[in-house]
Amino acid sequence: MIEVRDLVFEYPGHRALHGISLSVAQGAITALVGPNGAGKTTLLRCMAALETPYGGSVAIDGLDTREAPRAIHSRLGYLPDFFGLYDALSVRRCLHYAARAHGIAPGHAAEAAKAAAVRVGLQDRMEQPAGALSRGLRQRLAIGQAIVHQPRVLLLDEPAAGLDPQARRDLSELLLSLKAGGMTLVVSSHILAELQDYSDRMIIVDHGRIAGGETISLHDAASRLRIVLAAPRGDLAQVLTGQGAQVFLAGDDSALITLSGGTAERAELLAALVRAGFAVAEFAEEKADLEDVYFSKVRT
Amino acid sequence: MNPEFVRNLWLEATPFRLALITGILLLAFAASSTLTGFGSTHGVALALYWFFVVLWGTRSAALAVVGEIRERTWDSQKLSAIGPVEMVWGKLFGATIHNWFGGLICLPVILAPLWQDGWAACLTYGVILLVMGVFAQSVALLSSLVLIRRQTGNWRLDTFLCQVAGVLTATAFYSPWSSQNAFLRSNDINLVWWGHDFGLGNFQLVSLLLFTAWALIGCWRAMRSELRFANGPFVWLGWLAFISLFDAGFWNLIESRAGDRLTVHGAVLPLGLAWVALLASGYGMAFLEPKDPVRLRWLVEQVQAGRITRALLALDSWMLSYGAAVAMGLLLAVLLVLQGSALGLAAIAMLGFFTRDIAIFVLMRMLAGGKGDFAAVAVLAALYLLVPLILHGSPATALVVPLTPSGAMLSVLSGWAQGIGVAFWVTRSIRCHFYA
Repeated sequence: MIEVRDLVFEYPGHRALHGISLSVAQGAITALVGPNGAGKTTLLRCMAALETPYGGSVAIDGLDTREAPRAIHSRLGYLPDFFGLYDALSVRRCLHYAARAHGIAPGHAAEAAKAAAVRVGLQDRMEQPAGALSRGLRQRLAIGQAIVHQPRVLLLDEPAAGLDPQARRDLSELLLSLKAGGMTLVVSSHILAELQDYSDRMIIVDHGRIAGGETISLHDAASRLRIVLAAPRGDLAQVLTGQGAQVFLAGDDSALITLSGGTAERAELLAALVRAGFAVAEFAEEKADLEDVYFSKVRT
Repeated sequence: MNPEFVRNLWLEATPFRLALITGILLLAFAASSTLTGFGSTHGVALALYWFFVVLWGTRSAALAVVGEIRERTWDSQKLSAIGPVEMVWGKLFGATIHNWFGGLICLPVILAPLWQDGWAACLTYGVILLVMGVFAQSVALLSSLVLIRRQTGNWRLDTFLCQVAGVLTATAFYSPWSSQNAFLRSNDINLVWWGHDFGLGNFQLVSLLLFTAWALIGCWRAMRSELRFANGPFVWLGWLAFISLFDAGFWNLIESRAGDRLTVHGAVLPLGLAWVALLASGYGMAFLEPKDPVRLRWLVEQVQAGRITRALLALDSWMLSYGAAVAMGLLLAVLLVLQGSALGLAAIAMLGFFTRDIAIFVLMRMLAGGKGDFAAVAVLAALYLLVPLILHGSPATALVVPLTPSGAMLSVLSGWAQGIGVAFWVTRSIRCHFYA
């Protein structure tokens, strides 16, 4: 759905993106993570055809951002990191304006506004002024405005910034429901914990480059095994590698690995460790820990 | 209806605001009638119209875009399906709807005394006032669209500058109609333009309409750029042709005033006036436009890669103005030399200094960032005002001032040496202005 090839972007005196290439699959939620100033926002703005790259190309749904920016705008929704709302307008009017501004015919705008309000859970607050909404509800309204024309791609820049835990959970559920509706989402954030709840893939941007040079599938990461020893041994990583495991992280007393195959292969590995005299205290599948993945990539 | 206009109606034309404006205006008219009689109320109404439509209206028009940036809603608008024409008129008339509401209440009171002079006079004066309001507001909007490209981040200053631009341009046209008596007498004075006689009032009115049309075209072109449409060079070249022809048409005026002191003849005078307009455009746009070094390097790379058409279509307005001024200057210089006038060398020297000055604007932008344009103005002021003062009429003055009667050849050599030198410096800076 999104193809970025050798993307270079420069501000005067500073190159923000150094030949980035990546692909975003259709119908997935891709997390764009990285430290502040890494180039995430610039990358998103290039994807949204709001900035013209110095070199390389970005294609959304087969359309080049340099050649057809306006056609791309009709296919995507974008929520900037610092977004604004027309505070004096009611939720209904905000959404109605967004619908009309995105080219929805006058006869259908009210219906589209209502549908967007239902999707973001604001149907009970239609007459409330945008300025009177809480931070979380403003975020929902802004997303509602961005999706009112049912775009194929939704780009969100730091959507959870400043939200309380409940609002973050609501946001996660909202993004998952949008994904279930067939939308492709790219979510930028530097808060890794929130991304874990809804992302399928992760792209780490660091100093204008993709750390590790690849998109990381979080489904693969989810099938990792954590091994904890009761007594530390320095040859843990070596033995695990010898048994065909891919060692992700390893110390003297614990390791994080991926293992191809099913339960039989796992049982065989466990037996081999016990035979080799390792005091295995834990041997269990571990949910993906994005921080481990992130820091391992950023370090490399 | 245009969604941008409707949104502005929701925000700007609230019943409370409209009721307040109506109440205040009616009270002002009543107070004026009580104090000085109804006969002078039209003067109060004219002042209030000027306040609502020009003074306040230009501020509203400037804020139409600057305010969106301030409130962080501009990105959403740029991503919308609203086209440049809809966006311009939606903002121009939507953001100023309350100003027009007040202005339109004033208008019948202003025009009432003119009814005795016939409906044509009444209609003409009404049209003049309305067009002047549109002109002032569209200049303010256009200025804001130019200024936001500089990304100063100072919305108050940007808005004020746009307001000043709008008010000043409207005031420049206002003089022949500054009162109803002046309006009724405005065609008593004749003006010669391209050899034809025109009543001053009629000439000003047609000029106002044409300049308003160009201001609206400018808004449309700048809005296209904001909405990520590609702009070719043709509209700007059309504008340059227009102001050249407009300015050149006043050659009769210069000729009649100069009399026998005029040493040039033929096409030189109109070409000279056109050249002045092009030079002014070059300086103006070199000051106003961003001159982004990244973009300049991109343009250089396009030329080096042989993508000439792509580069030509992406040229900034200051580059086009510079090219047109140089072409016109060379033509003028050739004509002057053929006529045996010493001013031919002065024109060639002027082109050298012009090249240097434009290069200084670009260079200062690279060296001093966003404040570089003001630094460039300071450097040019020093070069043109302070250094000649220090040289105090010595022959070396020709080194820094292009139009000295003696030492024209020295001016030519100095001007072009400086022009090429600073341009070379700019080229090096573009190559070196790489990323950290």
